[in-house]
Amino acid sequence: MPSLTTNIGVLFSTTGSYGYVAQSMLNGALLAVEEVNSSHLGLRITPSIHNPGGDLAHYGVHAETLLRSGVRHVVGCYTSSARKEVIPLFEKHDGLLWYPSHYEGFESSNNVIYTGAAPNQHMLPLVDYLLQHHGRRAFCVGSNYIWAWENNRILRESVSARGGNVLAERYFAVGETDFSQVVEAIIAARPSFVFLTLIGTSAYTFFRMFRAACRAAGIDQAREIPVASCSLSEPELEAIGTEAVDGHLSSSVYFTSIESADNARFLTAYGSAFPGGPTASADAEASYNAVWLLARSMAAAGSDDPRAVKASLVEQHCDAPQGKVWIDNETYHAFLTPRIGRSNTEARFDLVSEARAPVRPDPYLVNNSGRFEAAPFPVLRLVS
Amino acid sequence: MIEPRLLQNFNGNRAFVVTDRAAAMDTLVTALERLGVAIAAEHVVGSVGDIDLSHLSAERDVIFIDGDIGDCAALPLSPIGHLPPAPVIGVIGVTAPSRLKALMRAGATSFLRKPIHASAVYPALFVGVNEYRRHRHLEALLEDQERRRRGRRDVVKAIIRTMAAHGLDDDAAYDLLRRRCMAARQTMEDYCSALVREQDLAAGDAGRDVAGQERRAN
Repeated sequence: MPSLTTNIGVLFSTTGSYGYVAQSMLNGALLAVEEVNSSHLGLRITPSIHNPGGDLAHYGVHAETLLRSGVRHVVGCYTSSARKEVIPLFEKHDGLLWYPSHYEGFESSNNVIYTGAAPNQHMLPLVDYLLQHHGRRAFCVGSNYIWAWENNRILRESVSARGGNVLAERYFAVGETDFSQVVEAIIAARPSFVFLTLIGTSAYTFFRMFRAACRAAGIDQAREIPVASCSLSEPELEAIGTEAVDGHLSSSVYFTSIESADNARFLTAYGSAFPGGPTASADAEASYNAVWLLARSMAAAGSDDPRAVKASLVEQHCDAPQGKVWIDNETYHAFLTPRIGRSNTEARFDLVSEARAPVRPDPYLVNNSGRFEAAPFPVLRLVS
Repeated sequence: MIEPRLLQNFNGNRAFVVTDRAAAMDTLVTALERLGVAIAAEHVVGSVGDIDLSHLSAERDVIFIDGDIGDCAALPLSPIGHLPPAPVIGVIGVTAPSRLKALMRAGATSFLRKPIHASAVYPALFVGVNEYRRHRHLEALLEDQERRRRGRRDVVKAIIRTMAAHGLDDDAAYDLLRRRCMAARQTMEDYCSALVREQDLAAGDAGRDVAGQERRAN
């Protein structure tokens, strides 16, 4: 008999423009719940699953329903807009949101545990890689919200500091699928790389249109104008389709291609539990880790009281599919291992770069950025 | 004068907290430490009078003042912009006009509402420090403009003397002076003031020489 039984909320938009990724996150969370319930932790978790359907206005309603029903821990949200929408409710009800997605940083709420990557774990390694291997002229295309705005700011500052420049920043509404003009503009500008912060169906459509346009113009897109992203994952590669799936760069703390016993076990269990897909992803792994960290902390605390859980959380170290994962006791973000992958024709990533050990999260880039914003004027260059 | 760049990383800064309820500031202290802002136990004080102003730096320090305390001491303010010696962020509890006014008078450039939410600290710091830096820049601009305004009298004198000395009209005299001040890498006002002073001294010396000669002749 388990000594502690508890309900947790699971809040993912498994329908809507980014539903494909969210479904893999839900799968990751549910797999961990199943494993926890059959483990020796002495804990029985019952998940209450809610789907806001990708509609920002519905997030608050679902979160409030969960919190009012007595749930004190919710694993959920993919976009930063959704997270920002529900944080005041978690603060009001003193619940904990376990946010399992990479994000742009500059936040540290006492009522959120961040198990996805902070900007120093995905954004900065990608900038380093791009500048070292592909050049200094960036073209940014993104969905018009905080994820794209903030990542583009970090990119702009890093590139400017090293003498490069951002040729353009173009933003589109979430769900937009007409990219013909921006694709033409990119081909005309011939940047060293495209930095993509489009999400969901917008991103998949962009990849297809850009590849087709480059092919028509006789350009080897993957080699000459690679597309780099901090959010591209395996389920999304499958959604892009075979014509345009390969040669894209992604910065992430988890890829299914990581070779380790823990990852092999995770992938086998995930594949058996969800044979219909979508494939596991970094966000699925972060959701899986979030539930495991929550369960271990609750078991250690002997309670689901958020304060007691937070106190015991910092003692927990997980052998996660990506490697060792634990939570920083200052910021409540996770120590994670940055990696860069290049997509192949099998809709998987080949690892091209990997940190030697888990990296401490730095959500405010306190130790990883300049004191001042980038110079607001271009650096003068000798032109003749 | 170049407008200051925005400060966005506060790692290495130092905070002072003026309050009589240090326990209510735990969230603030934790949030500041996350941002790399050092806050020593002895820098949590009951009055601004307890802050050693001689070691205060506008570039490094930030002062959080609890608006609910009845502090009789006050920070010295600069003469033109009425700015304190370091950025001040007001911590608001009671929202009565008298308390808000006291924080405004202390030179607060941003505010935190009690109870303090950790997520509100970075925005308050960002706005408070950068707004202070912007005010200080404007104050320096005003000082410079005031100094130049005072120097306009010498510019007028220099133009009139140049017109007389070179037989030029006022526009040509101005252009000549402007070319010379640019060559000397000085402002028009500084150049003209120096020129007028030099000419006055020379005229004074000449006057003394004439007077001496006259005395000797008599």
